[in-house]
Amino acid sequence: MSVKPSLAPAAQVLASREAQSMLSEVDGLTAVVVATVDGFDVASAMKAGDAARVAAMASSISAISSVVAQEASLGRNKCVTIDTESGFAVVYSVHRSDAELVINVIANGNAILGQVAYRTAQFARTLADA
Amino acid sequence: MNEYKILFTGTMGAGKTTAIGSVSETPPIVTDVVNNDSSHSKARTTVGLDFGQFTLESGDRVRLFGTPGQSRFDFLWKILSKNALGMIILTDNSRPDPLADLRVYLDGFADDLDIMPCAIGIGRLGDHPSPTMDDYIEELARHDRVLPVLEVDVRKRDDVIMLIDTLLAQLEAGMFGE
Repeated sequence: MSVKPSLAPAAQVLASREAQSMLSEVDGLTAVVVATVDGFDVASAMKAGDAARVAAMASSISAISSVVAQEASLGRNKCVTIDTESGFAVVYSVHRSDAELVINVIANGNAILGQVAYRTAQFARTLADA
Repeated sequence: MNEYKILFTGTMGAGKTTAIGSVSETPPIVTDVVNNDSSHSKARTTVGLDFGQFTLESGDRVRLFGTPGQSRFDFLWKILSKNALGMIILTDNSRPDPLADLRVYLDGFADDLDIMPCAIGIGRLGDHPSPTMDDYIEELARHDRVLPVLEVDVRKRDDVIMLIDTLLAQLEAGMFGE
């Protein structure tokens, strides 16, 4: 299997850099993974876990949320948050002209949902425009 | 009225989404996206699930669920196979090693195959005669499975219905205790 995402090299560099800075600057984050919509990681920064697996799950969640948005005539999907007993995961869709991407952020109980949601949305906007 | 849940799985590109679309009476729910895997020429691929519905002559309803084919989505295989009454595995005989493809699903769904009926649908057998149907049966025997193997064109509604009927016949014959 070989993967050829159509993502522009500059956007890939930006994705790697921003994933790394989010992970180091935001309290409680354990993983930031940028993936293609079909579940291949294109950039990641991890304290724990397997980027390939996170990427596959993020793409499924994003695809299911997209079909829910369509069926309910709610416009394009943006974000899914999975709140759990000991943290949360945020899956954010990035609609670019060359590649549809998904940002997946995993956070433990020390993270603040509002802060992570804000940073992730900002990351998505930067990546969409890069 | 009974409600059945049937699962479609198998190789990427074998036609799971097409099969469900061929028989579904409601517009199928499809979660396909752009494919970046250059070892497959497909433009789009399922990464979530497919869903369709179908009514039998008896009035019983069949809900059809399709899985992604790639094993990196095996977490969904487990979710989608829950409470299924039967499973259809589709293969694509134009692929380099269709029997190796089949093994992925025989192993990935081994626990489910112990408790539910299954039928194997071989696609593109006409243009790609090897492996033969006998080769498939021998491969299944190596996994201690005896399962019906059918040649199908999943674009044809009748072929997909034949696969579903084959599953239901196994259930009616009481081969799997309810």
